Amino acid sequence: MTAGAPGGAIGTAPAVPPSRGPFAVPARIRSGWYQRSRQERLALRLLLPVFGLVFVAATIPFVLAVVQALTSDDGRFIGADNFGRALSNDQLFEAIRQTAIYGSVVLPTEILLGLGLALLVHRTVKSRVLRAVIYVAAMIPIVIPQVAVGVVFRLLYIPDYGLINVLLGQTGNSQILWLSSPPLAIFAVASVDIWQWTPFVYLIMFAGLQTVPPESVEAAQLDGATSWTQFRHIELFYLRPLLLLVFFFRLADVLRVFDHVYILTGGGPGTTTQFLSLYLYRIAFRFSDLGQASALAVLVMAFMIVLYTVISRFLPADTSS
Amino acid sequence: MQRMKAVAFLSAMAIALAACGGGNNGASGASGGNVTLTIAAVKGVEDTGLKALAPMYTQKTGVKIKIVEAPYADLYTKLVNTFQAHQATYDLVMMDDPWMPKFGTIDALTPLEPLGVQKDTDVAQVVWDVGTWPPPRGPVPPSEKNKQKALLGVTIVGNVEMFMWRKDITPTGPKSYDEVLSNAKAQNKSNFAGYIIRGKATNPVVADFLPILWSFGGDVFDENWNVVFDNQQSLAAVKFLVDDLKAVAQTGPDTTDAAERDQKMASGQGYESSTWPGEINTAVLGPGSTVVGKVGFEPIPQGPSGKAVGMMGNWMLGVPKDSKNQQAAADFIKWMLQKDTQTTYAQNGGIPSRTSVLKDSSLQTANPYFSVLADALQAPPNWRPRTDQWNAVETIIGTELNKALAGQQSAQDVVTNASKQIRSLMKQAGYPTSQ
Repeated sequence: MTAGAPGGAIGTAPAVPPSRGPFAVPARIRSGWYQRSRQERLALRLLLPVFGLVFVAATIPFVLAVVQALTSDDGRFIGADNFGRALSNDQLFEAIRQTAIYGSVVLPTEILLGLGLALLVHRTVKSRVLRAVIYVAAMIPIVIPQVAVGVVFRLLYIPDYGLINVLLGQTGNSQILWLSSPPLAIFAVASVDIWQWTPFVYLIMFAGLQTVPPESVEAAQLDGATSWTQFRHIELFYLRPLLLLVFFFRLADVLRVFDHVYILTGGGPGTTTQFLSLYLYRIAFRFSDLGQASALAVLVMAFMIVLYTVISRFLPADTSS
Repeated sequence: MQRMKAVAFLSAMAIALAACGGGNNGASGASGGNVTLTIAAVKGVEDTGLKALAPMYTQKTGVKIKIVEAPYADLYTKLVNTFQAHQATYDLVMMDDPWMPKFGTIDALTPLEPLGVQKDTDVAQVVWDVGTWPPPRGPVPPSEKNKQKALLGVTIVGNVEMFMWRKDITPTGPKSYDEVLSNAKAQNKSNFAGYIIRGKATNPVVADFLPILWSFGGDVFDENWNVVFDNQQSLAAVKFLVDDLKAVAQTGPDTTDAAERDQKMASGQGYESSTWPGEINTAVLGPGSTVVGKVGFEPIPQGPSGKAVGMMGNWMLGVPKDSKNQQAAADFIKWMLQKDTQTTYAQNGGIPSRTSVLKDSSLQTANPYFSVLADALQAPPNWRPRTDQWNAVETIIGTELNKALAGQQSAQDVVTNASKQIRSLMKQAGYPTSQ
């Protein structure tokens, strides 16, 4: 056990199986107000302003978007016209396809790299100082604003004086048009995402690994378990809910990826990197079509709700019984 | 609904401003006291002169100036939200000239002539025209045809797209686009672009392309809002950009924006390109430039149509209808238009619009393009089509051109695809565009 080790609060969690872990809820669910203890009622009262604020902050824009999606600019009710226009635009499906390609590149890469890195550090780095250094290093990409990251990577990829092309030129190789060729442009914008968010996956996975009971691992090792067996039958069991959670967070981020793509390629070449969020921006602010943009936002929101519902089914919500 | 949403976003700001506002309204003159003029300005080289002049005006009149800066893309959205919510947040707004159709259509600005702003002949007529809504020439949006023409904006950054070339290599600049191409072919070599294309998607590539389109006799719309982007002249202009110029341009032109173009020119890696006045002193000839004294400037060259048509990108000052300090705001504009103020403005990094100041020989050394800019304003240049759909049209054309520059489609595809989308857009927006 690495109490106080890098990985923060989650890393110091007691070694308990997931059925009693962070996703577990009280076994005894009491729904009646007066069935609750005084402390529970007090806690709920104290939480009420926060819940209220979150409800208002999250609900009002959504309700406004729904209303806007169902009305024209002059406030007339127009039914599903905006949805019809949104769904009849070929560029929407192109944006969805490009977003899917982008997601299929960044999500597996980030999760596999982050998981691999976490396993490597967990198994090989025992020094607390070194773990702390890695922890800080992993935090750096996460806290840098995406706009700044976009600018830096543009200076890496741009033709002629971009760092990579300068190095290629100095070694006698010809330039690579990272941002002009469609497959390379996808790779270029994906590389920014992977650089910035693999550390996030690493931190979550590393924290999850700290919850694996060391006695289970030691017992397995005494029985001659290989590294793979140890991961497959012990560690993965503890990491599975975290992997699903990370997948959901990263998927949500992929659907709203904007800043660094806008700076690196502006959605180009052509519409190659015009992902869903850039397409939405284009409709809302370049075409000033707030009705259609709201309809798109509602559709994306509905998709996310369905997706989250499906993913939630795989999370151990209440396994204590 | 837009209004409701804008109200929701701006209410907090409005309450704060109402709490600390000066409370001076309507007919107050620039007599100082507690008047504070809040100016919405674009962050960048365009408001450099304005920021320099503001303290001088306060010292002279006692009127305080508060400049609220926003990046280009944010400023437009902020202004639209403010206007639609009828908030008295700003007393003066800086606006790019393509924004005028939107602001004019929603009646966001107050006429300036009744507040004492007078036109005079030392400022090119086109400068007054671009600030007038509905537009005094060219097609007028259907919804605006019955409106009275009024001066709603006064140029504070004279901005016309020009042409630059390396005069140390060829002492005279190209007079026609044929010469542009032949010179570019002659100069193009490894690590030295014959022509630098600003080809990044949407606004950048369209800004580079429109002078070519007009000089070739093409256009986006005719006088009745019919799309003519797929006629022979327009097709020839597109071919010239995406085939002829691309062949002698830098690698990856589809990713090049103004910053990259200026960097290439300043580091001696390009022979010629178009340019905006605001880029010249800060970037092309700015700190670290290796081409100071080696770059010549001239108006846009002539195309096969015999016309040489530059494009305007003037920044104007306007007074919102909801401002509570309209007279004081107009007084500030009048002061900014005075010849001695414009001279001070130019000495502090501003780009004036008054011909006598642009031609002032004492300013030419520091601003080698001023005289050319004066000529370009008199030419006169074109403005972008005066429709509140322009942002969308520009996005369509800019995306299609960018695809072609990236090698994803042909010039013919550009005009066919873009025209189809623009026709559909304009019909949907209520314009009498025929299919």
